[in-house]
Amino acid sequence: MTKAAATKAAATTVLSVRGLSVRFRMRGGRHIAAVTDVSFDLAAGECLALVGESGCGKSVLASALLGLLPGNAQTAGSAVLHGGGDPVDLLAADERTLARTVRGRRIGLVPQSPAAHLTPVRTVRAQLAETLRELTGTPRRELRAATEAAAERAAFPLGHLDRYPHELSGGLAQRAATALALVGDAPLLLADEPTTGLDRDLVDRTADELRRTADDGRALLMITHDLAAAERIADRVAVMYAGRVVELADATSYFGGSGPRHPYAQGLLEALPERAFTPVPGMPPELGDLPDGCAFAPRCERATGQCGTRPPFDGRVACHHLEEPGRA
Amino acid sequence: MADTVWRTHGRTRRSTRTLRVRASAVILVAAVLAVLLVPPLVHLDQQAVDLSQKLLPPSWEHPFGTDDVGRDLLLRCVYGLRISLLVGVVAALVATVVGTLVGAAAAALGGWTDRLVMRLVDVFSSVPHLLLGIFVVAMFRPGVWPVIASVAVTHWLSTARIVRAEVLSLRSRPYIDAAISGGASRLRVTTRHLLPGVLPQAGLAAVLMVPHAMWHESALSFLGLGLPSHQASLGNLVQSARGSLLAGDWWPTLFPGLLLIVPTLAVAGLAGAWRERLDPRRRSELML
Amino acid sequence: MLDLKNITAGYERGRPVVREVSLAVAPGEAVGLLGPSGCGKSTLARVAALLHRPDNGTVTLDGALVTEWRHRAPRAQRTTVGVVFQSPRLAADPRLRLREIVAEPLRATGRQIEVRERVDELADLVGLGGDLLNRRPHEVSDGQLQRACLARALVLRPRLLVCDEMTAMLDASTTAALVAAVERYRRETTASLLAVGHDRTLLERWCDRAAEWTELSG
Repeated sequence: MTKAAATKAAATTVLSVRGLSVRFRMRGGRHIAAVTDVSFDLAAGECLALVGESGCGKSVLASALLGLLPGNAQTAGSAVLHGGGDPVDLLAADERTLARTVRGRRIGLVPQSPAAHLTPVRTVRAQLAETLRELTGTPRRELRAATEAAAERAAFPLGHLDRYPHELSGGLAQRAATALALVGDAPLLLADEPTTGLDRDLVDRTADELRRTADDGRALLMITHDLAAAERIADRVAVMYAGRVVELADATSYFGGSGPRHPYAQGLLEALPERAFTPVPGMPPELGDLPDGCAFAPRCERATGQCGTRPPFDGRVACHHLEEPGRA
Repeated sequence: MADTVWRTHGRTRRSTRTLRVRASAVILVAAVLAVLLVPPLVHLDQQAVDLSQKLLPPSWEHPFGTDDVGRDLLLRCVYGLRISLLVGVVAALVATVVGTLVGAAAAALGGWTDRLVMRLVDVFSSVPHLLLGIFVVAMFRPGVWPVIASVAVTHWLSTARIVRAEVLSLRSRPYIDAAISGGASRLRVTTRHLLPGVLPQAGLAAVLMVPHAMWHESALSFLGLGLPSHQASLGNLVQSARGSLLAGDWWPTLFPGLLLIVPTLAVAGLAGAWRERLDPRRRSELML
Repeated sequence: MLDLKNITAGYERGRPVVREVSLAVAPGEAVGLLGPSGCGKSTLARVAALLHRPDNGTVTLDGALVTEWRHRAPRAQRTTVGVVFQSPRLAADPRLRLREIVAEPLRATGRQIEVRERVDELADLVGLGGDLLNRRPHEVSDGQLQRACLARALVLRPRLLVCDEMTAMLDASTTAALVAAVERYRRETTASLLAVGHDRTLLERWCDRAAEWTELSG
């Protein structure tokens, strides 16, 4: 990987999230706290993987950044997008601004199921050309060359441009979707579970392609439950539990080196079949009924009375009972 | 965190939608109450002819005006709506039951039964509805029941198509495979999984069919083939007002016409909200 | 327990997706079947679960030759095999509560009296606590719903469990929990397992042996 490029770009913060919370108003005045007080920065050329069990709030966070929350959602905090123009707070911007200047242009979305994301009745070439015209205003006579250039950027073979989505393999459909996401040349790419349901080598290929887009200088936020994909490409890993980030670590120290420090992050990693293959006991708590203290305490073997108060997040980890790093 | 400032996101047009649904509901409830309560409670003769009062424009005494023989049009319209609604609801019910049974049977039996039944549906559908309806009423003496039969005969076809398609789509779901693997009989799969899955769709089709059937009745009556002309159906009212419209008297046509159009829009408004509710994920209002 | 011999199967005439595949699972044995997506391994799993009639070849289940599939297969033979699919969303009737989903096979086979006890037993086995059983599919996460689908597959005490990409959409912890539940059931009943998937690390860790799709033909 291009270490030099990464350090050079590290100074440029593309996305700056501070105290982001999302809750849903439910019937009877109840609230469900889907995301609580999440803060992180994401720089150009960097890949941050947001990992956690299903229902931990990571997809809601993605929807909040894209301005695609349902009508009963409320947000707090800020998520300032610096890349690609004047800084804009994604949580405060109105739908018009988001639709016209942000989505597609300043944030590219790599969808979960590319087959469903592509229009079934049009060829890949037609969809790329239309997106190019819409987002970049490429004149008609340059469109053909621009379309092929866009396809090449995502390593989509030109010979397959005139195919319909159902004629593509899973891997090629993923590349077509990535090509579409890259068209607007957005400084921030958001990949929502890009590898779910794919074969291992397809996962690897997809992950590598995403990594390349980051190496080209984009910021990449990958939301995934697939730890292997995260290990392959992420620079940093944020572990979410019950709507909060409980650990934010360098990928190298998280997957190798000293390993994760939060007991939940350790449990998640130890559940992999190549490791202990033992599940974290119990199940995640209900987001509508979170305990006052540490949300993980009921499942945690290190929990004590101290865990009745919530451990503060010190920028790296939120836990009262950190073991010695280097525990293995 | 105690004094977190929460921002609401108004991406939906929920308020206008709610308004529309409420307005639709109020209109329909008012219409149903009117046709149920006015005849037994208001002891006025809708047939009372008073030639001294003929063709009066709308006034406080006659809000909808009077017709060419001096009958109060408001009263006539309520009676007209009553007959039209009755025809619409009964015809829609009959058509829905027949359509659901035929569609479900075709999908469940499959093979040549399915092909035969659906070809039959195609043949029936290829004849214009009104033509088929005229053919049916022509076989009987004028009255309410031939009109209902004529409307039902022409309207079960679309329901059969919808139900068949829905059953076929449900039947290929993995949860049907899981039920079979769990020892469920054909009957149990049908009653436990397929029919409950289809009924909301069929119910929606039935509701949407009521105004459709009302228009159909009106069309037949307008052509003089529906209800006997002394019975004040909305179609008959419009039909008998044709003469006065040419003379520039607009109210005998306008009000029965509005009584057809407004409830139709109201049903469409409610059905739209119902359709959204059919998707269970929307009910939870939460993205997991 | 299960013997698939020279199976050819598909959905359109003349275009089989499974060609001449043979695979055997011994009593008590756990066999993993590895293959890329779209290779036909899910179709083979459906044949083994008596849900899809093959065009050719023989299926022997528990010593008896299978001659009928789906509804035509004798109920006792059908319920010998439990099956779990990849997507719990598609495999659960959206109108039923999780409790009803798990109990459905008992009700369908006229064993209502066992419902209460057996459902609680299985909820415990797969780790469905609290009021989760009283919810409908759209009110729970994929992982929780898949736990219910596994419970449903085990409720009639099958002698063979077929898991078709059971954990492909789930996170590492839920995957490990579901595999642990299957293994606990198998220890208690000595049931056999056919686990179909694409994750070599997972299947080699989980099963007694992992068969390669490409090596099963011919």
